Amino acid sequence: MATFILRRLIALIPVMCIVLVIVFSLVRFIPGDPAVTLLGPGATQAQIDALRAQLDLDQPFPIQFLNYVGGLLQGDFGISLKTGQPVAHEILLRLPATIELSVLAVIVAVIIGIPIGVLSATRPNSVFDHATRVVSLVGVSMPAFLLALILQLVFGTYLGWLPVSGRMSSFIVAEPVTGFAILDGVITGNWAAALSALQHLILPTAVLAAFLAATLGRFVRNTMLEVMGEDFIRTAKAKGLRRGDVIIHHGLRNSLLPAITVIGLKFAEMLGGAILTETIFAWPGIGRYMFEAIKNRDYPVIQGTTLVFALLFVFTSIVVDVLHGVLDPRVRKKMK
Amino acid sequence: MKLLKGLAAAALVALPIFSGSAHAQSDEQLKTLVVAVPSDPVSLEPGTNKAEPIGSEIILNVFDTLVAWTAPDFKQLEGRLANNWTVSADGKEFDFKLRDGVKFQDGTPFDAAAVKFSLERTKATNSYVKATFDLIKDIAVVSPTEVKITLSEPYPAFLSILAQPQSAIVSPAAVAKYGDKFAANPVGTGPFSFKSAQADTNVVLEANPDYFRGAPKLSRIIYRVIPDASTRRLELESGGVDVVQQQGQLSAIAAEDIEALKSNKDVKIIEASSQIIRQLEFNNSKKDGPFANIKVREAVAHAIDYDGLLTGVFGGTAERVYGPLTSNSWAFDPKIKDMAPAYDPELAKNLLSEAGVDPSTINLKLYSFQGPLWGAVATFVQANLADIGITATIEQTEFPAYRALQTVGQFDAALDGRQPWYNDPDAHITIGYLSSLADTAMTFRMPQDKALDDLILKAQQTVDMDARKALYQQVQEEIVKRVPGAYLFSPKLIVFTRANVEGLVVNSAPPLNEYWGVSKK
Repeated sequence: MATFILRRLIALIPVMCIVLVIVFSLVRFIPGDPAVTLLGPGATQAQIDALRAQLDLDQPFPIQFLNYVGGLLQGDFGISLKTGQPVAHEILLRLPATIELSVLAVIVAVIIGIPIGVLSATRPNSVFDHATRVVSLVGVSMPAFLLALILQLVFGTYLGWLPVSGRMSSFIVAEPVTGFAILDGVITGNWAAALSALQHLILPTAVLAAFLAATLGRFVRNTMLEVMGEDFIRTAKAKGLRRGDVIIHHGLRNSLLPAITVIGLKFAEMLGGAILTETIFAWPGIGRYMFEAIKNRDYPVIQGTTLVFALLFVFTSIVVDVLHGVLDPRVRKKMK
Repeated sequence: MKLLKGLAAAALVALPIFSGSAHAQSDEQLKTLVVAVPSDPVSLEPGTNKAEPIGSEIILNVFDTLVAWTAPDFKQLEGRLANNWTVSADGKEFDFKLRDGVKFQDGTPFDAAAVKFSLERTKATNSYVKATFDLIKDIAVVSPTEVKITLSEPYPAFLSILAQPQSAIVSPAAVAKYGDKFAANPVGTGPFSFKSAQADTNVVLEANPDYFRGAPKLSRIIYRVIPDASTRRLELESGGVDVVQQQGQLSAIAAEDIEALKSNKDVKIIEASSQIIRQLEFNNSKKDGPFANIKVREAVAHAIDYDGLLTGVFGGTAERVYGPLTSNSWAFDPKIKDMAPAYDPELAKNLLSEAGVDPSTINLKLYSFQGPLWGAVATFVQANLADIGITATIEQTEFPAYRALQTVGQFDAALDGRQPWYNDPDAHITIGYLSSLADTAMTFRMPQDKALDDLILKAQQTVDMDARKALYQQVQEEIVKRVPGAYLFSPKLIVFTRANVEGLVVNSAPPLNEYWGVSKK
């Protein structure tokens, strides 16, 4: 197992190099000069040229690339063209918000989606099954921003139960310790901050979890139905095992493997930042940061965030593979 | 039964979570103003600020400039950090008598040395103001309350430049203390001092009780970053924010929001005239295009239904523009109103036949910025042109590419415009119409015309305000006679606030809010 993990980690390096070259070149092919975009339509050529020189944009491409790689090797992700701040620092400021949202969304989706899938599988073609099928279809088809707006309108504006946007009430002053708002509130004993953070998390989590819960529900239902039809299930039932045991230990456990892959991929996707959700809820995460950077042609930020996503994605797939090994002895044997 | 009890217990525990946003505000909240902005400010200090609206507005409230425009007309300058000033006859020397006893927010005294330090620092670090600040030849500290700035050329608009956020005065002690990190810890003399900033989340300013014009009524301002326009509106309606500026003049129409919010008694709508001008401009340096003949240009100018555009597309959220300057500019020439072309499609068709041009031979690519507002305007203009027989295809182009083709003259007619970044006719006229600057920005690309070019430069450099005004009036008439474009509209500045917000001052050029006099009932 350890050698397996090590081999996968080493394989990371060529992958990251390829990603780096691709994103570095592609981003410079997008029409539109960062200086022009940063200064807007009213700028004169003199102002644009002065900014280009200030931002080192007039250097030839290979020099820019070598400078960037040199910086990377020292842990320097470059300086944002827009703000002049170090990109690594800016990313670290926003990553916890996205991680917080993604982790919570996955947890909620799993808590809701898997039991629904199991229940639908144990009562195939019942009213419950049909009802969940309809709800799942809606959950999968509804655009995230539409769901977000509806939730904001209903729970925020009309009912006034939950805040419309943001990560925390602007009237609460909270010391950031880890960057994870609820955790920080608990650590510093600032219960008002922890509560406010929780309140603000509910709607964006609901939006992100909806899609995943719907997908998971159907997925688990279908996989379980297949598994429940297998011979070993009949054997287990014949042996007189309790119904719960058969369903969970024998049925669900074998259906979980593909579900874990889906959860892992979706989680990695969410870590990439759910741009629409983050934009509508004014969530200061990394997806929105990258989106703004693309609009502003902020090359170092686009490169930095892409590299971070690629890293997170590869790590997540390694974890998923290891989980497969943990849960499935057949895979474990192959890993050795 | 157990399940039910469990659910009931869970609901009780969950109840405080759903206390949501309190609608009635506490005393502390009544002294705090929450302003919604679409993104983080880029730079919070004059040395690096490149005129982006959010950072510029924060600078205006954290720092002071030597002079400022007097509300509500913004046609006259008043002293801020300066008490009064004189300009030499040759227009090159500006002598300022400074206010005494003013302190920076860190307690250090404001004086002439601080002015010298600030302006020289901004000149060295800010590439955006290079063209104007390079004119500064020397800054002399005559006494702690007197500073003399000498330019290398006469430039009366320099006073307008000194009213800009980029010319604000910084605390030399704070710069020495924070060095590179001054942008994250800006210190000025203004009514609000910088407290904290959280990336993509908020910027918090606190009242400066020792402010020289009197302590502000608010105790705090919180700028909340809310990127989505509908979310900003929802927050305004639910009381989560107090002020929202209609930021999207280039890309959104305010009319729908205004209609919807007019009936909301918790929301107040403040409209102010801006100095933004949007026009259908011709490529005036193209000798062989369809618009090289002035009669054809006049025909197009008469073909546009100006009032129809203002009511139909803008629903009253934009005003008519008659020439190179808006009606609220101090140099506006009232005669331009009469000289402006009226909507007359029959006259347009006659002009075309007089010019010997068959309109069906003109296949026009109508270029424009992207976004629904420009799309609506382009569609309207297209329809007007079709009425006189000209077929136009709309080409909405993404901004950087649009600028690229416009500055090399790859167009015949385009929808364009300018928001002046300082309050002086020079900001619209020189860059827009001086032939030698035609390729350096998005301009009218005027051909070389010694009479007009000399007149523009003379107006720029004349010191006496009345003489300058007369010259700019001449300039406006000369420009309008040449029909370089059809002047379409000037969008109004529209600020939405909660009904209990009072005392908001909305500057016109550039459109930034001053919060010193604001209070919440």
